[in-house]
Amino acid sequence: MKLTKLIWRNLFRRPGRTFLSVCGIACAMTLLMLVESLSMGMSEALSGDESARTLIVYRKNRYCPQTSFLPEWYTTRIEDVPGVESVLPVKVYLSNCRASLDLVAFQGTPVDTLLKARAIQLTDGNMEQFRTEHDAALVGSDFASRKGLSVGDAFRFGDIDVKVRGIFESEAAIEEGLILTHLEFLQRAGPVNRLGTVTQFEVKVTDASKAREISREIDSLFATAEEPTDTRAQVAFLERATRDLREILGIGRLLGFACVIVVLALVANTVFMSVQERVREFGVFRTLGFREEHLGWVVLAESLALSLLGGLVGLGVSLAILNGMHLSIGTEGVPVNFATSPVLFARGLGIALVTGALAGLAPAIRSARAPIVASLRSAT
Amino acid sequence: MSFANLTNVTRRYTKGGHAVTPLEGVDLTIEAGEFFVLLGPSGSGKTTLLNLLAGIDDADEGRIEVAGTDLTAASSRELARWRSDHIGYVFQQANLVPVLTAYENVDLPLWLLPLSRAERHQRVSLALEAVGLSDRADHRPGQLSGGQEQRVAIARALVTDPDMILADEPTGNLDAESAAGILHLLQRLNSERGKTIVMVTHDPRAADHGTRIMHLEKGQLHAMTSDESEATSA
Repeated sequence: MKLTKLIWRNLFRRPGRTFLSVCGIACAMTLLMLVESLSMGMSEALSGDESARTLIVYRKNRYCPQTSFLPEWYTTRIEDVPGVESVLPVKVYLSNCRASLDLVAFQGTPVDTLLKARAIQLTDGNMEQFRTEHDAALVGSDFASRKGLSVGDAFRFGDIDVKVRGIFESEAAIEEGLILTHLEFLQRAGPVNRLGTVTQFEVKVTDASKAREISREIDSLFATAEEPTDTRAQVAFLERATRDLREILGIGRLLGFACVIVVLALVANTVFMSVQERVREFGVFRTLGFREEHLGWVVLAESLALSLLGGLVGLGVSLAILNGMHLSIGTEGVPVNFATSPVLFARGLGIALVTGALAGLAPAIRSARAPIVASLRSAT
Repeated sequence: MSFANLTNVTRRYTKGGHAVTPLEGVDLTIEAGEFFVLLGPSGSGKTTLLNLLAGIDDADEGRIEVAGTDLTAASSRELARWRSDHIGYVFQQANLVPVLTAYENVDLPLWLLPLSRAERHQRVSLALEAVGLSDRADHRPGQLSGGQEQRVAIARALVTDPDMILADEPTGNLDAESAAGILHLLQRLNSERGKTIVMVTHDPRAADHGTRIMHLEKGQLHAMTSDESEATSA
């Protein structure tokens, strides 16, 4: 405890240098946290208890929701397939099929089927009002936060005007980035006015182990139809839809790793310079009776404190960005939110501590083991 | 009663590719309560001898016993503890920690001892009072004069109540007035508190404050009479 005061004062012995190091570490940590946040959001998007027994029926050889049109009457044919529990026809309307940082994704569905098929819960608003108004919308909590929407607001995108009648949360993270409307409303709205068509069907099966078999059966039903289908497990569908994004994220994670190296180099450089300036002082400490391990711990603790300080600033900045901007990135209609969780920030703190320890190890050992007389003769 | 005994001590090292032997077969006894002064020109090995007495350097040959401990047989850990308990060291430069106040610098060696905050406060206050710097306790080294810094360093050496104070040219970087103040302070610590003091210096006038003076040259110690010392001073 007595050494804590010394460690803290040493940290600010050269305030300018410490400030620059903390800024550098904070920037690197912010970048790392944003990449890790997107990575976590991607993992959340691709997981979920229900995804194993959910199939997505899509128009064969179509990859963008704007070009996938399937007849709505396929619903009853798919419902008759043995092992199918429910079928949710979904009309999708998007701002952009490609990767976008401001994805606006409408999904129009029959209300009753929607409420049975998806585990959504209203956190604000009125479900009855949504049921009865044709242009009403339920807005996912992430999208509402991103756009600053609340119940009663009107929201316009392109030719589509909706009134927000509820804000919802969902067990499936990606659904919280969506706007849900009535099916017919969305079929009539927008530049492609096609009543009787949907973009995809969400099929729940009773037994996840039979999902592949059921997929094949559904596709065989429409193999010779004008609009043949391509049915996949929801996870596979999401993985295909987010493939480009995941490739970019892979590079992003490499950059994140580079950020860790930058933190390591910054802390090591600062601690090394700080130790170089205090060689004689360490000799004085040893002469006073301080042991090798005392000095080793002081240097190591300074390194940890510096890294932790920069790390905490970086975590604070990234938390402010994530909470303030509600970042989301979407592709092919799949919104992926930048996730925030205690685990993410605990990981960030852990990385800061480990890099601090690694960066301080060599200077700590070197300072502790330096011969006393040689240290006292040092010019610094 | 002898406090420190050096028996046939030799210290060698290499400097610039050349073998140097600052001490060769040195025998020395320092009595408890002595103000022992070691005179000699720069590079004669005075600091080496002081470092050996402080247990911060190792002899190549011979035996060094100080305050009942054989320093040549003690481990690094044992020596650290021993220094904390028995030795106060005053360097040529004050070597204070710049980020700590005068009070905190004096408090530094007490961090190693099992003392309460109140006990530490009492000791630090007494030490600062002894060197006449109670009113500068909150000043950092950068805010003190050279003489004041050296007095804080003496307070730091004094605060653990050591048996022996080792002073390596403590007035070497000071003006005449400050130097006289420091020497007078050391003399008082010896005469009033009975501290054993070993001071090395190349200044014969500073040596006059000691109760015994020896001269170190070419690795060998020679006793000096007061007449020889006075002659050197003149």
